[in-house]
Amino acid sequence: MSQIELYSVSKIYTLEDIEIRAVEEVSLKIEKGEFISIVGHSGSGKTTLLSIIGGILHPTSGTVLFEGTDIYSLNEDSLSEYRAEKIGYIFQFASLLPVLTAKENLLLPTIFSKDKRANSEKKAEEYLDMVGLKEKINAYPSQLSGGQQRRIAIARALMNDPEVILADEPTGDLDEETEAEVMDFLKRINRERGITFILVTHSSELAKDATRRIRMTQGKIIEM
Amino acid sequence: MSFSLFSVALKNLKRKSFRTGILILSIGLLVSILVFGSSFILSVNVSIKRASERLGADLLVVPVGAADFAEEVLLETKAKTFYMDKSIIERVKNIEGIEKVTYQTYLTTIFGLCCDIPAAKVVAFNQDTDFIVKPWLKKAIGRKLKKNEAIAGYEAYENFDLLDVERSVLFNIEFDIVGVLEKTGTGLDNALLISDENMDEIISRSGVTVKPNQISLIFTKVKEGYDPYEVGRRVENEIIEVDVIARSDMGKNIISTLKDINNVFLITIILASLLSTFLAWTIFSAIVNERFREVGIMKAIGAKGSHIVTMFIIEVFVLGLLGSLVGIVLGTYMSLTLSKIFTLLRDVSATLTLLERVEIGLFGLLVGTGICVVGALSSIIRIKGLEPLTALKEV
Repeated sequence: MSQIELYSVSKIYTLEDIEIRAVEEVSLKIEKGEFISIVGHSGSGKTTLLSIIGGILHPTSGTVLFEGTDIYSLNEDSLSEYRAEKIGYIFQFASLLPVLTAKENLLLPTIFSKDKRANSEKKAEEYLDMVGLKEKINAYPSQLSGGQQRRIAIARALMNDPEVILADEPTGDLDEETEAEVMDFLKRINRERGITFILVTHSSELAKDATRRIRMTQGKIIEM
Repeated sequence: MSFSLFSVALKNLKRKSFRTGILILSIGLLVSILVFGSSFILSVNVSIKRASERLGADLLVVPVGAADFAEEVLLETKAKTFYMDKSIIERVKNIEGIEKVTYQTYLTTIFGLCCDIPAAKVVAFNQDTDFIVKPWLKKAIGRKLKKNEAIAGYEAYENFDLLDVERSVLFNIEFDIVGVLEKTGTGLDNALLISDENMDEIISRSGVTVKPNQISLIFTKVKEGYDPYEVGRRVENEIIEVDVIARSDMGKNIISTLKDINNVFLITIILASLLSTFLAWTIFSAIVNERFREVGIMKAIGAKGSHIVTMFIIEVFVLGLLGSLVGIVLGTYMSLTLSKIFTLLRDVSATLTLLERVEIGLFGLLVGTGICVVGALSSIIRIKGLEPLTALKEV
């Protein structure tokens, strides 16, 4: 049994009687500890597929299994628990809550997971140190650069010790140097902790670092 | 304080402090109207009820057509005079069901005629039969009043500037002011009380309208087992010169005029509540709309629908609570100070107990918070059910 299994997954949007097939009949198996990159042009369905795997978007059809459990057969609360405990999500946009400090943003996921509250304060400080932002512990997102915000978002994704990290263009708005730093950090986490990484990117350069590369176009996987 | 949904909610409220302030103020104003209105209505109602109970009489026998005057004298601070023949006492006493009777005569001093006291209510009562003043008198001086002695009602003492005055002239006769009654919560608080032994001299030495052998009002106690209403009807049937007021009917005239005031308050409160609910709805719609992405992020990283609802409900409750507290303070202050500009409240001896004020405050708190919850509910339900990615994209 693979860690993640997708069977004939489709996501169809209907806009004014026009069907848009964002993801079409995708079947995929991902093993624990893999570092997968999903590449493709804008609108190819990469983010939609990532969202479906992450349990934040119901597919129109198909099955998504996580360690053998069909996540979309779960009730809403159980699906939230899946997101809170199994998945760490790094969004392609600034995703920190503006009213919270860097540390509080890191603590946010722990509020939603009873099991992960122990030592969360200490852990948040450690992660901030790990991403090189310990001195920004009480800074608000508006006081941080885009790169710093991104690093905090990455640290937040790790807070609940997820089994899978879904990273959607995690280096999208970073300069080359910071991009390299972030990618090194992600690879290190993957290597040291055995966390599965699924990285969505439009950059073939970044995708090279992955152990497996998936190319999508028009909602379909065309290369694996 | 450890980091929790409560911390997030408070930080969210601080983010838009002006908007938060407006909503708190709006709820505060509504609750203040509610507290002030409730205090006003309750003060009058409670005061009348207490006064009629404290008088301790089951039936009041008054001259025909003088029932309203009697209520004004006994329940309010007004000075009125009305008289009937003293012989009616014996006729009342002989009616079946009457246990005991006593009477009072009401006089009004005339400012400038005889003394330094402005027009004041003077109550002459019979000390041998009295059961109305006796308990208060006993507490105050522990003995009966002698001839040419007067005792001041609790408020009369201050209102008529009797502080440090040992003697005063009433109806061209010198009276010793021998003490002050405790607060009775009745019209006696604004009166000077004298024994009816003084009546003959008052009538002969001043220009009062009362004639010898006239009295104002008869208080009666009904024998156990008799229905006061039934006995009252019997009195009215047998003595056509009188009207009878049962204790439970006392103040009905005042209360009926209160109904209109009640309705004005009610309509004002309903309109203010609707306005506040609408305001809360508008503000929370805006709050929810501008936080779609944040809620989407929270849900994507594991927040359940219940977490989102809890966070918003905390915000709503904090707003409602703060607004209500502002309103309770403001409304109570208004009821304690502004109420004196209302004749009705000035005329009754209206003082609410702490418990009654707490009850009104809790009612205000409930309404203020309830309005916030009702106003915010539809927006909260709307965002609770959204799929994370849909919320993230609804910007």
